[in-house]
Amino acid sequence: MTLTLTINGTSRTVTCEPHESLRTVLRRAGLYSVRYGSDTGETGAAAVLVDGRLVSADVMLAVQAEGHRIETVEGMSVPGQLHPIQEAFIEAGAIQSGYSTPAMVLAAKALLERTPNPTEAEVRDALSGILDRETGYLRPVHAVLRAAARLRGEEPAAVEVVRLDRLEGSGAAHRDRDDLPPIAPRVVPSPDVPATRVVGHAETKTDAVKLAKGNPAFTDDRDLSGMLFAKVLYSPYAHARIVSIDDAAARALPGVRAVIHHGNVPRVRYASGGQSYPNPLPYDQVSFDNKVRYVGDRVAAVAADTEEIARAALDLIKVTYEPLPAVFDENEAIREGAPVIHDEPDMEGAHDAAHNIVHHIEARTADVEPGFAAAHRVVERTYRVHQVQQTPLEPHIAIARWDSDDRLEITSSTQVPFHARRMLAPLLGLPVKRIRIIKPRIGGGFGAKQEMLIEDIVGHLTMATGRPVRLELTREEEFMSSRSRHPQTITFRTGVDAQGKLTAQEMRVVANTGAYGTHGLTVQMVTGMRGLSSYNCPAKRFDCDVAYTNIPVPGAFRGYGAPQALFALEAHMDDVAAEIGMDPIEFRRRNWVRKGDPLDIAPQLGEGDVEAGGTPVITSSGLEEAVLQGQRSIGWHRRSDPGWRQPADRPHIRRGLGFAMAMHGTAIPGLDMGGASLKINDDGSFNLLVGATDLGTGSDTVLAQIAAEVVGVGVHDIIVYSSDTDLTPFDTGAYASSTTYISGTAVKRAAEQVRRQIVDRAALLLGVDAASIDLHDRAAWAADGRSVSLAEIALSTLHQQGQHQIMGTASYVSPDSPPPFAAQFAEVEVDVETGQVTVQRLVMAVDCGVPINPVTASGQVEGGMVQALGYAHCEEMAYDDAGRMVNPAFGPYRIYRADEVPALEAILVQTLEGSGPFGAKAIAEIPMDGVAPAVRNAIADATGVRINNIPLTPERVWRALQAS
Amino acid sequence: MITSYYRPRTLQDALALAARPDAVVLGGGTAVNAHPGRPPVVAVDLQALDLGGIRADAGLLRLGATTRLQELVDSELVPGVLRELARLEAPSTIRNAATVAGTIGTADPESPLLTGLLAFGARVGVARAGSNAEHPLEAVLDDRDLLRGSIITGVTVPLGGRAAAHGTARTPRDVPIVLAVACRDADGTVRVAMSGVASRPVLVDPERLGQLVPPADFRGSSAYRIHLATVLTTRALASLGGSEPA
Repeated sequence: MTLTLTINGTSRTVTCEPHESLRTVLRRAGLYSVRYGSDTGETGAAAVLVDGRLVSADVMLAVQAEGHRIETVEGMSVPGQLHPIQEAFIEAGAIQSGYSTPAMVLAAKALLERTPNPTEAEVRDALSGILDRETGYLRPVHAVLRAAARLRGEEPAAVEVVRLDRLEGSGAAHRDRDDLPPIAPRVVPSPDVPATRVVGHAETKTDAVKLAKGNPAFTDDRDLSGMLFAKVLYSPYAHARIVSIDDAAARALPGVRAVIHHGNVPRVRYASGGQSYPNPLPYDQVSFDNKVRYVGDRVAAVAADTEEIARAALDLIKVTYEPLPAVFDENEAIREGAPVIHDEPDMEGAHDAAHNIVHHIEARTADVEPGFAAAHRVVERTYRVHQVQQTPLEPHIAIARWDSDDRLEITSSTQVPFHARRMLAPLLGLPVKRIRIIKPRIGGGFGAKQEMLIEDIVGHLTMATGRPVRLELTREEEFMSSRSRHPQTITFRTGVDAQGKLTAQEMRVVANTGAYGTHGLTVQMVTGMRGLSSYNCPAKRFDCDVAYTNIPVPGAFRGYGAPQALFALEAHMDDVAAEIGMDPIEFRRRNWVRKGDPLDIAPQLGEGDVEAGGTPVITSSGLEEAVLQGQRSIGWHRRSDPGWRQPADRPHIRRGLGFAMAMHGTAIPGLDMGGASLKINDDGSFNLLVGATDLGTGSDTVLAQIAAEVVGVGVHDIIVYSSDTDLTPFDTGAYASSTTYISGTAVKRAAEQVRRQIVDRAALLLGVDAASIDLHDRAAWAADGRSVSLAEIALSTLHQQGQHQIMGTASYVSPDSPPPFAAQFAEVEVDVETGQVTVQRLVMAVDCGVPINPVTASGQVEGGMVQALGYAHCEEMAYDDAGRMVNPAFGPYRIYRADEVPALEAILVQTLEGSGPFGAKAIAEIPMDGVAPAVRNAIADATGVRINNIPLTPERVWRALQAS
Repeated sequence: MITSYYRPRTLQDALALAARPDAVVLGGGTAVNAHPGRPPVVAVDLQALDLGGIRADAGLLRLGATTRLQELVDSELVPGVLRELARLEAPSTIRNAATVAGTIGTADPESPLLTGLLAFGARVGVARAGSNAEHPLEAVLDDRDLLRGSIITGVTVPLGGRAAAHGTARTPRDVPIVLAVACRDADGTVRVAMSGVASRPVLVDPERLGQLVPPADFRGSSAYRIHLATVLTTRALASLGGSEPA
């Protein structure tokens, strides 16, 4: 049918089918800011304005919108200009990946047109239909309030760093603090940190303008002529053999261009986890197998002229299955007689496939039994952590095509373009040199995209058809067939002496890696490493079985084994403190690692070349200060205020405060490597090419700040490009909290080469000694105050004299992994009659070394805490008895919304980490670590009930209260 | 899947279309479009009919069929408890499209708004060729045939009572596992409606909550839901307190 739609004030005639959504039709009309998050409308990435009302274009038919005024963010975009709302989002640091930013900007526009002076609650309500997995909503909410002020003619205060006084030794931790501006980054400065011009400042993101404007920047924001649409047929059984596949009817359907399955795709073994060469064992996957091992496992794939035809073709593929008994629990899976999940003869590298034991991991620093024998008390508890999903708002999507040189070009929303290229080559039978992976902007990853999940499918289909092929997972497919966090059963056994010092500690884990190994080894190694590193103890032992089961496959998820370990450890440390009658923070303080202490379990459980470096030692720690800052912010002294703990006017409510300590890693030592190159342009600007993969965190900006600091320019004089296997240097990718530290050091070294070349030419032009020259404000300065601009230096070197390209290339791999530390606090209210827990406030004070950008660092903490709160409180992948996920949609799978998140505060406690660029350590993952145990410990504080399983849903808490 | 689309201009035309066996009536369309189903259907969009608007007269609140949920949230005419339940029904992007009629027509089994409307004693206006009728909401939820081939024209809600809602949910704005809404009419009649204790929102007898057989799911077992029903009903009734209006 033909429709006339009024889009951004212009009348446009479009053709569409009656069933097509407004999102589909607007995207086809080139309005790429309207983005896919799900088909059911609740993600809000496709929100638009219809007659000034914010509606989800996912669930409005295009034809319903005929006769109405449709607005998208493109209508607010004037070249070279920003709308005040867009400006406010940029200034507030409200944009991470930017995938849903256009929708939020429109939500703000609709609200402010109706309500020029909204309350925070009204803003939160307006944003309630736009899910955000990245920011924790704090900055978007305040961006809207900021825009409101500006539109009313007020000028809001600049978003500037608030410097907090150090509390260590001051005794002030027990006094309330004055209110601070809500989104000003809080930094506790270290006197050791030298002044810098760009690093450490609240710079706006380098990619923020295009994201605020909704410019085409993501994988799906391109339209290739002749492009085919792929769909995948997924297994309806948790465990079955494929007896036969008859694809004749599917192939005969007009518009179907290829059908692929185990019968026509070469059987090449691989492991899908995006990791360095050689990928860790086992190699237990093939592109298409003759057996399926979970509901959602791949069976076949189709490429067709349209998505509808592809979907129809799936229905025509006749698959005969022989269902097999299935097992879902990790403890049952490794018992004698359990169904054997990997019985294929050609799989490589499982520890004991006949018993579903993929890996057995052991590590110990000394015999633990003497320590237990000598202990004053020995406490043993078992904890269970469940399966949750990363759920970036942009699902997995990849588009493949042959380029003009007959090379396979795949644009993919991936965290690991270089690993994906190397891993794809054998599957597709192409040499690496004939594959190019382009990573455009990514709408979030959180580890879900540290996986070569779908690139092989589009590769096979393009090779089969010769045509471009696009595959985007629906939200339901994302839930059922992508990746998730490993469930674990964790037992801690701890001996303490009469003074509360640990004498021995043992951690036994049975982990569930689902149907395939992928990250199963390394995640569980991190579990052991993190579970046994926070506290000094003369004897530690780790014992872990990693089990195959028939659940959808866990993989990499922000935190990577640490959130599991630290839920158990930090719950356990509170339990031990209670057993021996000691204050939970004081008990930890007697044991936690300090600067100079060895990380003694690391040589056995670290990835990479740890053993070559010997036992690593803590080189910086701001933990004590972080604890004091967090105590003050959360109001820890209220723990001893009975009137606060049990409010008189609400008899069924108990209040409590909880604490957890977290320590993480910074990159994988001896393994993670990043490369960078930097070159000058005629005007004194620079191109920075990095393999590092910004997935919305702001790493491009942080890397630009590092380069800008070294060469004396502003951050927006650095044009960052990341990442493309043809154009940028290698990088292992965005994972393991590595980008600032590893890729940042590579950038710093490349920039230092450039700096030397600039200084040499400046010395020549100014007639002074190179050693006396300083670079700042886009110029090279002699000691006598004379200067020559970088533009003049660029023109001189490129065109006039001794011509050469001022450029530098460097790469970096670190022998160290200096840990960031954090103090996580939670405030809860427990309804003791229903078990409902309301989390009122989360505070995390973190030592990430020197934060290169305090705004993006704070954003990592705020968003990470809310994602971690989902793990603690409400998110779970739930299954029926047949292993089918029963809640594969947002809503039933609950992630926090803007109108219900607790108050959040991030406090950045500086230390100067000597090995990091400008003193930086990591911050990306540590926010995932402490929330679950802090909330659990807060519930224990409120009610006396210690709950050893998450999520802390109402019925679980109620049952624990009943049992107590 | 919607294979053709009509936007009738008169109720008569709409009724003729709705009488087709393959007709699906669209209020805002948010539920139908989210879960389109496979069989071909004809969409009958009510937006061009003049069925919207909120009025209060003679002690009755009249909600037009195509009143959007956001209009309920924003209207001072609507009792505060219903406004909050309309807000809890869906987030901003959905509330701006979803309608009162659509909420009744799709009858989400855990709908907070329907639970509230039940407690308030709402009646549903239903038009079909040659006849108009008004049914209690419970009857409409009970017997889907009452809506077949018809158009919902609006809902009436008695005003002047007092109401309170108490729910338990995983997070503050999540759909409650169990929700209890109690309402005392101006004449003193008390009704309690609940969601999460049956396959749809129901009116319950507060004295006989133990006879409920709630469907279990991963958020709450049957036994837990019965416990919540007791606690939340007690709270809702207690909140009714004195006799000032809602």
